[in-house]
Amino acid sequence: MKARLFEALNKSWADFTEIRVEREEGTHLAYRGREMDSAHCSVFSGGIVRACIRGGWGVIAFDSLEHVEKQVEEACRCAALVGKEKTELAEVQVIDAERPAKLQHDPRGVSTDEKIRLIREYNDIILAAHPSIESSGVRYGDSFRTVHFANSRGTYYMEERPRIYCAFYATARDGSLVQRTGDSIASAVTYDIAVGLEEKVLRVAERAVLLLKSPKVEGGPRTVILNRKLGGIFIHEAFGHLSEADFLYENPKMCDLMFHGRQMGAKNLNVVDDGSLDRTIGSLCFDDEGTPTRKTYLIKEGVLTGHLHSLETAAKMGATPTGNARAVGREHPPVVRMTNTFIENGNMSVEELFAEVDDGIYACDAFGGQTEFEMFTFSAGYGHRIENGQIGDLVRDVILTGNVFQTLGAIDGIADDLEIHESAGGCGKRGQAPLPVGFGSPHIRLQDIVIGGEQSGAV
Amino acid sequence: MRTSMTDIMKDHFQQGLDTAKRAGANAAKLTFYHGEGIKCRFEAGRLKDTGAREAVSYSIEVLVGRRRGNTSGNSLERIDDMIERAVTLAKIGSVAHFETYPVPDRLEKVRTYSERTLTLSREKMIEGCQEMVDLLRAYNPDLFVECSANRSESEQLLVTSGGVCHTARRTRWHLGASVQRTLDTDMLFAGYGRTWLDLNAFYDPSGIAEKIITDLRRAERIFESPKGRVIVYLPPEALARMLLPLFMGTNGRNVAKGDSPLANRLGERVLAPSVTIYDDPHQDYAAGARVIDNNGVPTRKQMIFHRGVLERFLYDLDSAGLAGTQPTGNNGCNPHSPRVLPGGQSSEELLSGIEQGLYICDLIGFGQSNIINGDFSGNVGLGYLIKNGKTVGRVKNTMISGNLYDVLRQNVLVSSDTEYEGRYPHVVIEGVSVSAT
Repeated sequence: MKARLFEALNKSWADFTEIRVEREEGTHLAYRGREMDSAHCSVFSGGIVRACIRGGWGVIAFDSLEHVEKQVEEACRCAALVGKEKTELAEVQVIDAERPAKLQHDPRGVSTDEKIRLIREYNDIILAAHPSIESSGVRYGDSFRTVHFANSRGTYYMEERPRIYCAFYATARDGSLVQRTGDSIASAVTYDIAVGLEEKVLRVAERAVLLLKSPKVEGGPRTVILNRKLGGIFIHEAFGHLSEADFLYENPKMCDLMFHGRQMGAKNLNVVDDGSLDRTIGSLCFDDEGTPTRKTYLIKEGVLTGHLHSLETAAKMGATPTGNARAVGREHPPVVRMTNTFIENGNMSVEELFAEVDDGIYACDAFGGQTEFEMFTFSAGYGHRIENGQIGDLVRDVILTGNVFQTLGAIDGIADDLEIHESAGGCGKRGQAPLPVGFGSPHIRLQDIVIGGEQSGAV
Repeated sequence: MRTSMTDIMKDHFQQGLDTAKRAGANAAKLTFYHGEGIKCRFEAGRLKDTGAREAVSYSIEVLVGRRRGNTSGNSLERIDDMIERAVTLAKIGSVAHFETYPVPDRLEKVRTYSERTLTLSREKMIEGCQEMVDLLRAYNPDLFVECSANRSESEQLLVTSGGVCHTARRTRWHLGASVQRTLDTDMLFAGYGRTWLDLNAFYDPSGIAEKIITDLRRAERIFESPKGRVIVYLPPEALARMLLPLFMGTNGRNVAKGDSPLANRLGERVLAPSVTIYDDPHQDYAAGARVIDNNGVPTRKQMIFHRGVLERFLYDLDSAGLAGTQPTGNNGCNPHSPRVLPGGQSSEELLSGIEQGLYICDLIGFGQSNIINGDFSGNVGLGYLIKNGKTVGRVKNTMISGNLYDVLRQNVLVSSDTEYEGRYPHVVIEGVSVSAT
């Protein structure tokens, strides 16, 4: 493959050219309700050529290597039509590497029968949990993505990127009130993460039933403690995307806003993106431009210190590439994305964090979240009241919203129990989803965070 | 399309049906897709990239007894192998609620392919995007402008053991722009785009730019939002997004699996009498236009909510078998091209009748909560205060919440005019809970 890619690159007359070729094989199985709902295997291969001439890009996606030389030429023609300035792409070390997957327990060695038996057992646990359980869903999947990359600077790498996940949800009903809860887990290392989830699955089902009887949370500004998963999603959605330099590098107003040295939060707030973490779901050896991944401090001691870069954004902002140019699949060009993004440990114990809250909300897990730069909205999976430092009754419909610049400053307590989550979902940007990312946080406490919903006496 | 592949694939697929049968399948379905497209993208008001894509893919579904196995791929040399893998998978795979694929039936004639769409060249797309950039920058040179355009042509083939052998050709274009206005930490996003299968007058760069400029003009000043129970005005694009949970409720598989809050409510009035929603896959050149579903069932124009009464759930072949009913020709049990029946008053009249209210274009976080139940809660991304029948400025830090079924059961006024596709009108909703953030 290496020789084939370099041979094709010889056809280029662009300032810079790269070819990425991928093969992805996957199995996806699902139970829904009382029956097996789907069983699907797929094998896809293909790739993409990108050429840059005078700063303009030509991008050609293909399914077969048969005509890759012609596709290189076509990418050059497209780039020539666009480019009117100067090609500026940061230099990085030339790579020549092969990085096969290091799986502890390869899912390809487990029979489909066994995988089906596993999800059937989880599904049975959900359905048997309570008479109010109306429906269930358990999904298992594994995929094995092999990436071959070469560019006109002489870099070549092959990297295998496996992924195994298991996701489950429970739906409980009381008349027309329907509550759904769920959880998931993923790994780049072992099939075993999908095994032994019985307790987790049961907890999800029981929570769906309890939420039927739980009151809606009362809206308004509250003291909120985010659990580790929601804290991770918060920092990914509300701040991580703002750090992606493709939103900044040609937008002077955004650069004015996201300048290095800006005070973002308290002195104990440290936010990191690290694609070089050892084999988590968001980790990779090289990004999809051939840059080795690394640890980047986005916020250090409360101060904005870094952005996430591709070769182009780094060159145009005078920065070093961070290994964050990623593509979700074979037909997509790389864009600046996160890898594993998390808040580092603080110095409080979880007990201390809760002890100082007389009246607040413990917001846990997430249905999802959306951000439009400075404004964000997150929907917690569930919540609990905090009363006199103790975790109290379950509440539902916990939606948090606010302005990220104010909210990061509202973090007044960071615990010391960081956990990085690897989940079945992924991140979406510019039509590329779901990209596997890790996200994490210790428990964090925020003051005066607005919880959506009907405020008492307001309506 | 440089070379049509469906004729070659027809022979392949007929042989594929035999391969599946020999391997032990009692029924099989094979679909093939071949598409080509070109595109361009502007970033920061400048042409950033242009390119092309050619793709083929196929999917295979086989039944072994009452179980299904599915495979998919894009290597044509491996089709036989993938058929055999599907058969192996089916022996232990998902439960099938049907025994055979339907026999060929009469199909409507719906236009989905337009030669003139293929005249949309890369140069013309770049020109269109540049026109949008120039208009938007003329309004405000500080705007961060992104635009994109694409055009594609595709052919599909469906071959089933029920005897269906259907080919379809499709063209499509998209043109859109978005802007970001940043004043310190105050940011505003506005965007608009159009998609159609025929290159007609809908392809209108200046119209798209003007729509965005209208939004920006409305947002020039910032006002505090009213709180409590507030009248809400939704333009067509916002209404389209707000209705998505309804279609999760009318999804026949969700109903049969017990996930829909609308189960057992057929024939009940669940929405305001002014709300009529139907599915129309037979509108020529609409993005959702199609004559046959993925299983070979003819599509049809069908009522979903008639004057607020729930008339029908939508079913694909398997879900219909599960529910003990007939398939409605809807892939994944979702509507192909839902439409809301227009009302009697113009949108201007509806707006002028609001003394105080909120005009909501975009809701951040909508769809991220317990959406299947209809619950929603979101921060108003782009919205305006309405005072004495006019929008007077933007509202920020405003959250709306409620349950979609409750909200749409109130008095809902529906405009006589719709957006370019004719699918969604403007609506005014009597009261939604609004809180400050």
